[in-house]
Amino acid sequence: MNLKISALEFVQEVKNGNISAEDFVAKTLERIQSVDDKLHAFLSVNEEAVDKAQKIDKKVKSGDKVGACFGMPISIKDNMCIKDSKTTCASKMLENFVAPYDATVITKLKEQDAVFIGKVNLDEFAMGLTTEFSAFGPSKNPWNLDYVPGGSSGGSAVSVSAFECIASLGSDTGGSVRNPASFCSIVGYKPTYGLISRYGLISYSNSIEQIGPLTRTVKDAAFMLNIISGLDVNDNTTRDNKNEDYLSEIDSGIVGKKIGIIQEMVGDGIDPAVLSATKDAIVKLEGLGAICEEVSIDMVKYSVAAYYTITATEAGSNLARYDNLRYGYDFSVEGYEFNSYISKARKNFGPEVIRRMIIGGFVPSAGQAGKYFLKAMKVKSKLTKEVDEVFKKYDLLIAPTVPILPFKIGEKIDDPVSLFLIDINTVTANLTGKPAISLPFVISNGLPIGIQLLADSMQDKLLLQAAYALEQTVTLPEVPI
Amino acid sequence: MVTEEEIEHVAKLMRIDVDDHKEFVDKVHAMIDYFDVLDSAGVESEEISMHEIPISNLREDKFIPFNEKLIDKLNNYKGTYIRAPKMST
Amino acid sequence: MTKIGLEIHCQLTNLESKLFCSCKANYREFEINENICPICMGLPGSLPRLNQEAVKKATMIAMALNCTTPDKIAFFRKNYFYPDLPKNFQITQLNIYGDTSIGGTGSIMIGEKKIKIRRIQLEEDPGRLIYEGSSSKNLITLVDYNRAGTPLVEIVTEPDFENPKQVRTFVNIICDLLENLGVSDPGLDGAMRADANVSIEGGNKVEIKNIESFHDLEKAIHFEITRQESLHSRDFQIIQETRHWDEKRKITVSARSKEEDLDYRYFLEGDIPWIIIDSHIKDKLKSKMPESISSKKERYISKFNIPTQVATVLSSDKFYSDLFEKSHSESNAKEIANIITTDLMGLVDTREKREKSKITSTHLKDLADSIQSGKISRTSAKNALYEIVKTGKDLSQIILELDLGNVSDESELLKIIQEVISEEIQAVEHAKSNPQTINYLVGKVMQKTKGKAEPKLTLDLLKKQLG
Repeated sequence: MNLKISALEFVQEVKNGNISAEDFVAKTLERIQSVDDKLHAFLSVNEEAVDKAQKIDKKVKSGDKVGACFGMPISIKDNMCIKDSKTTCASKMLENFVAPYDATVITKLKEQDAVFIGKVNLDEFAMGLTTEFSAFGPSKNPWNLDYVPGGSSGGSAVSVSAFECIASLGSDTGGSVRNPASFCSIVGYKPTYGLISRYGLISYSNSIEQIGPLTRTVKDAAFMLNIISGLDVNDNTTRDNKNEDYLSEIDSGIVGKKIGIIQEMVGDGIDPAVLSATKDAIVKLEGLGAICEEVSIDMVKYSVAAYYTITATEAGSNLARYDNLRYGYDFSVEGYEFNSYISKARKNFGPEVIRRMIIGGFVPSAGQAGKYFLKAMKVKSKLTKEVDEVFKKYDLLIAPTVPILPFKIGEKIDDPVSLFLIDINTVTANLTGKPAISLPFVISNGLPIGIQLLADSMQDKLLLQAAYALEQTVTLPEVPI
Repeated sequence: MVTEEEIEHVAKLMRIDVDDHKEFVDKVHAMIDYFDVLDSAGVESEEISMHEIPISNLREDKFIPFNEKLIDKLNNYKGTYIRAPKMST
Repeated sequence: MTKIGLEIHCQLTNLESKLFCSCKANYREFEINENICPICMGLPGSLPRLNQEAVKKATMIAMALNCTTPDKIAFFRKNYFYPDLPKNFQITQLNIYGDTSIGGTGSIMIGEKKIKIRRIQLEEDPGRLIYEGSSSKNLITLVDYNRAGTPLVEIVTEPDFENPKQVRTFVNIICDLLENLGVSDPGLDGAMRADANVSIEGGNKVEIKNIESFHDLEKAIHFEITRQESLHSRDFQIIQETRHWDEKRKITVSARSKEEDLDYRYFLEGDIPWIIIDSHIKDKLKSKMPESISSKKERYISKFNIPTQVATVLSSDKFYSDLFEKSHSESNAKEIANIITTDLMGLVDTREKREKSKITSTHLKDLADSIQSGKISRTSAKNALYEIVKTGKDLSQIILELDLGNVSDESELLKIIQEVISEEIQAVEHAKSNPQTINYLVGKVMQKTKGKAEPKLTLDLLKKQLG
């Protein structure tokens, strides 16, 4: 049984009766058994996955209507709710939290006969870009086990990259889908803000984050987007995409498209290997008929500071509900006064979460909001205006997903500000609500480099077409695990 | 420049007991200091705005009870109440 | 000069569902923690789903209070930790980035006094804390979240009140107005609550929180003024502080946690986009609004010639003005207004009695018509009204059963009149010389007929008899 197939190939094989979903899922579980001790992508595995696949096989055999996923094993970042299963956010605070409802994306995938193979690792509450801040230990990069897989959707990227599932859902607040996709050499997609419902995604910074698919191919990302996107009554921020089909015309090509190269994202601090990969990508895009020019977006310089100010503020508020009263871990309230109880209970948060919550208490406070939070919001406004302006002239923008190569576990964990700067190329898409994709492009000395493309709001289809065109020019080695 | 006292005060407001004091304060310090770059962005005159939707997009006013007895899935007391610590006032 | 400002919290009890989820807005009928869902419990991953009708109803309230209404509204988070707040923040409104609260400045006249309104905001109610026994002995606090997320409209006034009496008048007007709009039932327990700020000449402002009923509002303010005056007279400083109203002891007590220590860290609620309320929608809402109390009152006076006093009472009470609207015609309006305000309101004066009352608009119409046609006297009408409220029987049946019909048979009346004439020799002589005193004899006839003599016929016959 070949586990190394794409989502579309899987669907075709099951449809044709060449493979059964049950076999594939069972083999996938075996694969997880054999490799995940080393990789630590999974926080929990769904014991009922094989049964579920068996039922779908029955539907296929009997000619009943089968959902578009045909029993495809998908992993889910453990910050999305699946009814009656644990949703931990990789935090001790939610170690025993069992979600009483399904996230909208989960409902949609269930309707299309997806099989949830397990919940995967992340930085605690999605705060981080390495998975080192997971309360349950880091995931490892399948390309080199000493290296971080990126984050915060590190478990998602590892599980797809190491063939522990066919596709995964992650969430992207400042690059959390694209960064690990780049570090693990897979496709990571951050849609236009509002394209996918966030209902059931545990909020970190709700005004800018989106759920996004991590897949082996661009077509698979489009396939997933077809299933999980669209207006949702449960999320007032969702937008109507009129049931857009992102797969159709994906091979339209990019002849004549104008692409801007964001200068602020290829300057200081960029790794030479990453810069050269970016240049190669530009050459290839030009070879495909696109016109590439340098553009400058001044506010990018301030984007990381604005990003961390806004996300910390929202996180401080979003995570306030974890006071251990209505749900949480075993810790009796008796004998405590309210404030001292919750201050003790909240010590179960990990250090990075605590740091960000305290920053989130500081930057929007009455005395400081003018200096920090309001300025950050204004940078966000101005950045959006600048990017909107650029998209009047250009169809797409290009930059490396991450300015540096994957690094070793433990290498940067003690230097929060140097970690900040790794986000410089990804946060712009979140602050402006624009769609962005990370495409695996090259392996440099055994470490992956991803290229990022951005498009204007609701131009997700165009973005996927461009990424698909570029993908066709790339051949990559197989992951060495 | 953010003072140690300010950081401690905020930790209290955010209801977090902090161990490992020195390391903690240093890191938070460094992070907040980095935000000073915002001062040079020159954005004072920018306006803050957000996505807008028509009122017709909003939910209709209908009573639909949750399909399960949610309280049974939460930390509760005497089968019905949620229990909280005693209040100081 | 004493200055008092109010923050009035009104639940929109007549809505079907809560502000951000589909649980019931009127939580009163539920067992503890049975009216909850992942959204109003703030469970991880849940998002607010704003109730369209709540936005519309709150806009109507703003319009009715003569407030400006913005073209778009925004929601903010007010962050603080409290066990009755499932998310440990409250979704509310403010005017940080322009006027984005559901209502802007406005005003209401109470007599000659103008009370300015600063802002109206739409927000969610917290849950309820229950302390068993004495709070000092409590090891824990119990929380019922059925109320959490109930739509609440907060009306913030300028400190324009000078005394508790003005406050009472104002809140009465607000209650009547909300009831008239059909958005709330102010009589429901906990539907109307208030915070007040009070300062006397030369003193600092003191906030009083947690006044759980309007009944206590006046008392709390009165207590606070007295307390402050007493301090002032003895040259003690009045500290700027937050105090709580102690319901049981009927006093205000200093809140231990200082308000200054709180920092609500207000910022935009990203889960709710800004909502556009354009002029088209505003016009539509305006056209759907029920007639205002003052316009009703004017109409009653000018169209039906109802006395101002009666019109004021009638128009401000939705229950009775609705009854009036359904029962009256051009010719009997004044009579019906009279029946309602002089008799019915006294008879049915509590919420409970209203709910039990069997009176319908048909009853009122029949009563008024019967009085006007001389079929029954006003005294009998009052007796009949009592029966109607109690039993709901038809007026005609009640008249028969209780023998309330007027004596309008000429020969029968004549017999009684002759009786009276023979008994009241002196009065008859008086009446002959001074026709104005004839009313005394009419009264005697009424006495003998227990008020059922048809008045006009009686007078005519008496005059004839006296020559």
